[in-house]
Amino acid sequence: MRGTYFEKMKGSTQSPPRVSLAEMAWSWIGAFLGIGFISFMNYHVFEKIDVLMIVGSFGASAVLIYGAIKSPLAQPRNLVGGHVFSALIGVASQLLFHSHLWLAAGIAVATAIAVMHATRTLHPPGGATALIAVIGGEKIHDLGFMYALFPVGGGVLIMLIIALLVNNIPKSRRYPEFWI
Amino acid sequence: MATDKQKNVGVSIDISDNDMYAALKDIPGYLDITPGDLKEVFRSAYRHATERIASSVRAEEIMTTAVHTVMDDTLLKDVAELMAEKGISGLPVIDQSGRVIGIISEKDFLSAMGEKEHSSVMRIITECLYGKGCRAAPMRQKTARDMMTSPAITIPPDLPIFQIMELFSSEGINRAPVVDRNGVLAGIISRADIIRASVIKP
Repeated sequence: MRGTYFEKMKGSTQSPPRVSLAEMAWSWIGAFLGIGFISFMNYHVFEKIDVLMIVGSFGASAVLIYGAIKSPLAQPRNLVGGHVFSALIGVASQLLFHSHLWLAAGIAVATAIAVMHATRTLHPPGGATALIAVIGGEKIHDLGFMYALFPVGGGVLIMLIIALLVNNIPKSRRYPEFWI
Repeated sequence: MATDKQKNVGVSIDISDNDMYAALKDIPGYLDITPGDLKEVFRSAYRHATERIASSVRAEEIMTTAVHTVMDDTLLKDVAELMAEKGISGLPVIDQSGRVIGIISEKDFLSAMGEKEHSSVMRIITECLYGKGCRAAPMRQKTARDMMTSPAITIPPDLPIFQIMELFSSEGINRAPVVDRNGVLAGIISRADIIRASVIKP
């Protein structure tokens, strides 16, 4: 029994192949436009009215929706659902357990994963979105549940629109695989 | 012996991680699955497909309907002549109402002619060469009823091909008549019919 337990840690197969240069280039272009656009809006439009538009987990989403566009984890249902559900759970966890931040953080991420699984919206950056709701500081805490709508919901929708526009340009790419 | 047979049936296409790696390379873009998992998916899907095909094809779809038959009172010399003329190794024996009452095959002739129970062509030739005479002579006046294997193993028209294969394997038979609910002959299935139907078209 113990033999097989450690045996499993060796791994059993190999890493998937490297993608083509064109794939790398289109991933770069998509991510640059998506994150660039949101950041521009954040720094040059919304910062002036003291509104936050970008959260760190968007960088992780960019990997998926511009770099691994066939992945089930990168589809619109997962992108939007995963972020919004996780944001709500993160905020709720922060409100309930803010006296013990370590507990609030653990519960936020763990529950976000379970809920994303249950709703078939698993999107890894959602875990970061839930965590940021707890560890993000005053500015995030002050938003309350609005955090799920803006910056999270709104920002994600803009990233999605850019993914739809960019990912369907090359012949070899197609996005999404499915909507809901 | 039975286990050997099972082993042969179990031989499937051996697909490797490298085949899956090559398949992943054929598809542009990044697929977040390892070659190992893809192989598992492929094997599982292949098994589902073969099971689905095996259970969806039924006896009546693959059987031969133009069946040569003999009546229970047909003389054995006529039975032998018909089998020789048509180049068949076995046929169903039916009664007046078309019901299958038995099956008669080369094997039945061989065991009737040989001294030992499991006779073969070579055994009969051996016995002839030792000058024991024509062992078929005593059966001149006999009829199909005297030699047939009865009752015959029959197949209902809706039996899935998968179960027909199991039946052939477990009973060690090469053909079986397909009969309707009343036992009336509808067709016959031989191993050749199964092989023809088992080829999965890509």
